[in-house]
Amino acid sequence: MDFSLNQEQEMFREYVRKYLTDMEQTKVARDYTENKIEHVKAVLSELHELGCTQLNIPEKYGGMGLGKLDLVPIMEEMGRAIVPGLYLETSAFAVPIIEQFGTDEQKATYLPQVANGEASFTIAWLEPGRSYKQQGIQMSARLNGDVLVINGVKTQVPDVELAEYFIVPVLIDDEITLVIMDKKSSGITLREQKGFDETRKLTEVTFENVEVPMNQRIGAIGEGWSIIQEGLLSYNAALSSVAVGALEHIVEMASEYATIREQFGNPIGRFQAIKHRLVDMKLDLETARSLSYYANWALETSSEDRIEAICSARIFAIQAFIRTSAHNIQIHGGIGFTEEIDCHLFVKRARFYENYLGNMEQYYEQAITALNWEQTETAQEKETILSTN
Amino acid sequence: MDFSYTAQEEQFRMELRTWLEENLPEGWLDGTFKMPEEQAAYGQFLRDWQKKPSDGRWAAIAWPAKHGGRDATLMEEIIYHQEMVRVKAPPLVNYVGLHMVGPTLMQIGTPEQQEKYIPKILSGEEVWCQGYSEPNAGSDLAAVQTTAVKDGDKWIINGQKIWTSYAHFGDRCFLVARTSKGEKKHHGITCFLLDMKQPGVEVRPIIQMDGEHDFNEVYFNDAIAYDSEVIGQVDDGWRVTIALLMHERTGIGAQVFSLEQQFDGLVGLAQTVKEDDVPIIQKADVRKRMLDLYIKSRGSLLNYYRNLTKQLKVGHPGVEGSMDKLFVSEVTKELFAEAISLQGHQGLLWKDDAVYGNSYWQKNYLYSFGQTIGGGTSEIQKNTIAERILGLPKDVGR
Repeated sequence: MDFSLNQEQEMFREYVRKYLTDMEQTKVARDYTENKIEHVKAVLSELHELGCTQLNIPEKYGGMGLGKLDLVPIMEEMGRAIVPGLYLETSAFAVPIIEQFGTDEQKATYLPQVANGEASFTIAWLEPGRSYKQQGIQMSARLNGDVLVINGVKTQVPDVELAEYFIVPVLIDDEITLVIMDKKSSGITLREQKGFDETRKLTEVTFENVEVPMNQRIGAIGEGWSIIQEGLLSYNAALSSVAVGALEHIVEMASEYATIREQFGNPIGRFQAIKHRLVDMKLDLETARSLSYYANWALETSSEDRIEAICSARIFAIQAFIRTSAHNIQIHGGIGFTEEIDCHLFVKRARFYENYLGNMEQYYEQAITALNWEQTETAQEKETILSTN
Repeated sequence: MDFSYTAQEEQFRMELRTWLEENLPEGWLDGTFKMPEEQAAYGQFLRDWQKKPSDGRWAAIAWPAKHGGRDATLMEEIIYHQEMVRVKAPPLVNYVGLHMVGPTLMQIGTPEQQEKYIPKILSGEEVWCQGYSEPNAGSDLAAVQTTAVKDGDKWIINGQKIWTSYAHFGDRCFLVARTSKGEKKHHGITCFLLDMKQPGVEVRPIIQMDGEHDFNEVYFNDAIAYDSEVIGQVDDGWRVTIALLMHERTGIGAQVFSLEQQFDGLVGLAQTVKEDDVPIIQKADVRKRMLDLYIKSRGSLLNYYRNLTKQLKVGHPGVEGSMDKLFVSEVTKELFAEAISLQGHQGLLWKDDAVYGNSYWQKNYLYSFGQTIGGGTSEIQKNTIAERILGLPKDVGR
């Protein structure tokens, strides 16, 4: 039995944490909200130098050839500092699906670019008035010889400014198909949208007769939805780690404040109203961490229970992130309500994730389906096992 | 990360499994066994049962082999809990003796005390209870009022204990009493290995809200303990008490594994219970609540494994045990509350009229209220976690 990250993984965490601490942790996110894009890009490129982007790319394509669990500590550190950008989308969604479903040519084109820190991917999925469900994808592409001609609108596409490529689900002959598109393709218009999590920049992307060669398609026509599902497993396992990192930072920040801030002649952390709330937060953090470690392990080992493990980790970690970031403001009192202190950044980021690339309801459904509770053949048996004696 | 067991551990598991199949009371595994209902017969059944694992060296596996144990590793203890939970084996009536008093005697007791008490703890010949809690003292363990006054080679004991588990079966009591008044309330406490079968000791039952009788009040009216029954030094009992509490290194494990089993049972219940001929598992809100519980029960199991890993690496249990205790007892309470809700109006019937599971759900629902109280309330666990893990200042009044 060994349910922990190994020494190398923890060591990698230390490098990343040290660097982000030198960069004043959440300052990078604040710089991004103030549009200091060049500075943010410089930080992201330093993170690449540390090895973050190479880590899970096969050696053959210029990476380190490591596994899903090796990403966990980096994801946690990204969450701690709520680092802006598309690391999660690129390393935990685009890379795994290109590796699994891409052609040799696509792998040779994209994977080295990611490994070199030259390319990031954003996901242009959501459409106005629609959802992240299968029927939410309505934008269709017309096949014209070897070329796809795309028309339509995608909304709330994150961090386009930092991306080189879009991953776009479209309908070809009424079937969901996934396409990689160069951001610089002609016919693309961008319109900035305002979102309350300013550490993620949202854009409405309009496609007007955008031409994409057919060889930019990942997988066959009609395979898009199942490829997305695979990508989401890896994305959500990583997302749960990001949330864990954020939770850890929040619990530390709130505990520290509770030992410093005095009221009625005592540090507020001496009062059980505060103390017990902090323990609830800590319990949320550790439970999210256990679930997320297990989810990533299940992903890496293709364990039978990986779907319910990953959905559970995502559901719990994001809900805990929402709860805990809200408690954090309450514990900080008046100052917690201001823009000056970091508290609000975490509340907003938690809400961003709640409904990003799927919502709670969908993940509940997915986990429940995987657990197969509605098949009631063994019910009587299960219940009687307990009730005897 | 590695969730597998070594070949040696698997072999240990199979050995235990085989032993259980051969030695569990007849009809136990196929569910036809009926537990004696009458108190004395039940007590005798428990004593008879304990004799079996004791003879097979399965009663105190963590004990050294020379005392009848197996020098079990921590992982073997975990496997032991898993297997015991799996077959829902009868409890070992001498829990306090096996997990607390025995190991403490080995650590602190004199050779005479070890020789006199340890074999009888193992065989179940002498059942032990612990005399800690007192009326109104609750979680404040050091607020001991029961007194022991020196009289020649004897000590005269007066006072009252409460929440004493199994005192009605008890032959001996690990008693904490005040022997002098010091400046600090932790000072002046002494621990005794008291004979319960003497005129000065009176045991009165406490009937719990689930109708069961596990706890008692114990009254001491000029009860007698001898110098040879003092464990550790006079007035130094606080240290002995803490040593005793530290000996339970895997205690929460059994509860965590039970929770997993109970959750499976809950799924079975939700599949069985019908409302107007439709199994309630088909309701979306029922499934959603079930998933919330699934996540929490998985979470508490995984938290336990993570703490266990740490314990395996550092060699001793940490304060994280408080987090496991807090979480698993709270989730257990939620789980049984859900089991009552799921049954609707039928959940209010019990005993002979119980509709589902032979009152299992009703009894455990009521019992679960005790789990967030006994062994340190959730509030006390929270104070411990806050102070010792999060580094917050001591609670007011301490």
